Amino acid sequence: MAQVVLKNVKKSFGAVEVIKGVDLTIESGEFCVFVGPSGCGKSTLLRMISGLEEQTSGTIEIDGKDVSNAEPSKRGIAMVFQSYALYPHLTVRDNIGFGLSLARTPKPEIKRRVEETAEILQLGPLLDRKPKELSGGQRQRVAIGRSIVRNPKVFLFDEPLSNLDAALRSQMRIELTDLHANLGTTMIYVTHDQVEAMTMADKIVVLNGGVIEQVGSPMDLYERPATPFVAGFIGSPKMNLYEGKVAEAMGCATYGIRPEHVVISDAEGQWTGRVRHVERLGADTIVHLEVPDLGPLVARVEGSRTFEPGQQVKATPMAEREFRH
Amino acid sequence: MTRRQLITGLISLACAFVIFVIPFIFVFINASKSAAETARLSFALPQEWRFWQNLVEVVQARDYQLLLAYFNSIVITVGAITLLVIFGAMVGYVLQRRKSGWNKVIYGFVLAGLMMPPAVVPTIWVLQGLGLFKTLHGMILIQVAYGLGFCILLFRAFVSTIPRDLDEAAIVDGAKPWQVFFRVILPLMKPVTVTVIVVQSITIFNDFTHPLYYLPGKENVTVQLTLYNFQSQFVSQLNLLFMNILLVTIPPLLVFIFFNRQIVAGMTAGGVKG
Amino acid sequence: MRKRSPYPYWFVLPAAVIFTVLFLVPTIASFWFSLTNWDLFDASFIGFENYQQFFSEPFLLRGVVNTLFFAVLTSGAKTVLGLLLAVLLTSGMFAQGLQRSIVFFPVLVSTIGVGLLFTELMHPTEGVINLALGAVGIPGPGWLTNPKLALFSVAMVDIWRGVGLATLIYIAGLASISPDYYEAARIDGATRLQQFWRVTVPLVRPATTTVIILSLIGGLRLFDLIWAMTRGGPGFASDVLASVVYKQYQAGFYGLSTAGNVILFLLIAVLVVPLAFRFYRKEVDQ
Repeated sequence: MAQVVLKNVKKSFGAVEVIKGVDLTIESGEFCVFVGPSGCGKSTLLRMISGLEEQTSGTIEIDGKDVSNAEPSKRGIAMVFQSYALYPHLTVRDNIGFGLSLARTPKPEIKRRVEETAEILQLGPLLDRKPKELSGGQRQRVAIGRSIVRNPKVFLFDEPLSNLDAALRSQMRIELTDLHANLGTTMIYVTHDQVEAMTMADKIVVLNGGVIEQVGSPMDLYERPATPFVAGFIGSPKMNLYEGKVAEAMGCATYGIRPEHVVISDAEGQWTGRVRHVERLGADTIVHLEVPDLGPLVARVEGSRTFEPGQQVKATPMAEREFRH
Repeated sequence: MTRRQLITGLISLACAFVIFVIPFIFVFINASKSAAETARLSFALPQEWRFWQNLVEVVQARDYQLLLAYFNSIVITVGAITLLVIFGAMVGYVLQRRKSGWNKVIYGFVLAGLMMPPAVVPTIWVLQGLGLFKTLHGMILIQVAYGLGFCILLFRAFVSTIPRDLDEAAIVDGAKPWQVFFRVILPLMKPVTVTVIVVQSITIFNDFTHPLYYLPGKENVTVQLTLYNFQSQFVSQLNLLFMNILLVTIPPLLVFIFFNRQIVAGMTAGGVKG
Repeated sequence: MRKRSPYPYWFVLPAAVIFTVLFLVPTIASFWFSLTNWDLFDASFIGFENYQQFFSEPFLLRGVVNTLFFAVLTSGAKTVLGLLLAVLLTSGMFAQGLQRSIVFFPVLVSTIGVGLLFTELMHPTEGVINLALGAVGIPGPGWLTNPKLALFSVAMVDIWRGVGLATLIYIAGLASISPDYYEAARIDGATRLQQFWRVTVPLVRPATTTVIILSLIGGLRLFDLIWAMTRGGPGFASDVLASVVYKQYQAGFYGLSTAGNVILFLLIAVLVVPLAFRFYRKEVDQ
């Protein structure tokens, strides 16, 4: 259980500044997700917390201690890698116990702790296999086991689910959330997938171009995005965003409305548009409209409603849900 | 297989047999003859098979010099290979993982070591200064110095196939740099290590030139030196000379049969890149 | 810098020490000693006298010329034969794998063994080669005893011994050419010969470069085969730089011997290094 505090952390690779001054506090026991497009610096930030990457300036505190200059193994962190990074030549047992054996933990204790960990993750029958004999989900669990066994104060996850297929991914999301609930340890999780961020996080940190765009709970970010970037990044399908003349007409620099907050009717509405394309998802239907006043507009309606391409319809934004910036 | 492929195959096999195999058969036949018979160097089968007697005679020649030579050659080969694998792998690893201005310098030396002829007499001068001239230790270190370039290139290429995440996972697990290398990286390099061992052991075992310069003296003979020296001794006993040639041909043949794949991998490394 | 890299430079240290002491130091020292009259204990500076001697004494100059001739001849032959054999040995013919092994095996055999064996096979009156030629009515020459032929004969044996490596490298090179190119060429109506010249030869070039580099270096530095077969004879007819270096060392002319070494060093530096650096640069820049 530990708080993580970043103070004015910066990182440059040569002349390129990839992290442009980040101040952030992650509370003890929080599940914090760093999310953003590729190249936004989220992984670099995580690697600086782990100590694998050295910050150019600023300080990092874990559990009240300044660890800016500490070795990764001295920071009380554990990390799960995107590739899992399981040692191919070691059995599951030795993979999980590797760190303990490096720390010269007595053999009986290693055995006990490895088996406890295996118990938590239901890895018991797999302990004597090699990583190449495991399925993707099992490898994932071993990688997590290798972190748990060290009793870290903070867990770091670097896109751990991106190598799994969709079904397994949603199952692992639930397992990770349960794990967090059971252990109650601070967890920092990096992903480019806003669905993962929304479903798992207590706190989301949206990064873009090396700066924090917004920090908040998932619903905070959904309902009250601070910037057009966050508005567009969180939520699926993406929020309809307009700049320039369209937005000026609305009295702001950027105007946005989420597809699920557009009401479509045949009779009357604020905008008139023509249906260009219909995606039927079953429960929902996504309607792509061409609105002369706006440009393209996407709306999400109930799956039971039907539209034909070319059809003229009226669209109205829900007033209290509009985004103005 | 088409008829045409069968016919070309048979013709070409016949040619390959005449050009490449018959010389070895010649060695075998003449190694089995009596001295008088071999003097005629004919291809005829021996009238009396003396294979075993000739073998015993060669081994016993000059106070069992051949056994001493095998012992020395094996000591040099095993010693040099042990150092080459460990030191070469360490350099290949750092060279691949750490990008810096020094890399080009190190590369320059690696290529120089691969291509440039060693300056023999000044090397003798250095060895004498260190008290290593005419010693097996000195010979081992020489073979290490001359073989490093090849090993480093092979190990470096292999390290690039090991994901960096593994190093980092080990670092987070608390491994020191040497533990990352010896407990994670080195065990994973087994395939390329086998290749290095096989190719270098053949090279070092077959080396004649460098022992000739740096390891003179009767007590230090190596297999190749013995073979060469026997040439003058066996002028009238060519059967024994052929037996000796046969004896140095068999070890590489065995290695070739068992490690064909690794030899091919090692010998062609770098050949198809670019 | 606070934290140490996980890839410390002391990993390079053991290799660097051995390489520096036993390779670099002697190499650098050789430039100095080649300018001296040297007996391993005292070296007196005599300027370029050793080099002058090298290029004025016919038997020393012969070594330089022979070295170049030998290297160019063997490396040319290995390149051409290697490519042809590789094409043949990838054509899917009968007993292909066995034949690859047969062609390659001599590469692994002791050079001294090969040298002594062929010395007997090339014996002018009793050697198998001349007996075979005699049987079909051709009088065999004195392969190693005729001064005009000796170096050429050794070169033949070197090609016999080394063509397997060239073939192996070419086979690997051919395997990396996608069959799509040949299919496209066939659709364009290319004959087999055209496919060879227009597709195979240009696309197998990295392998060609490797074969040329390796065989040039091997040819320029060759010592053991010459020594086992002719010792540079008859007379000085088949002397190459490496055998001259050894002879002068044996005779106690250490300065002169080292000058020969430096000349060999420079030959490789001029002929091979530019080729090799261009080839390996891609790898260095990765």
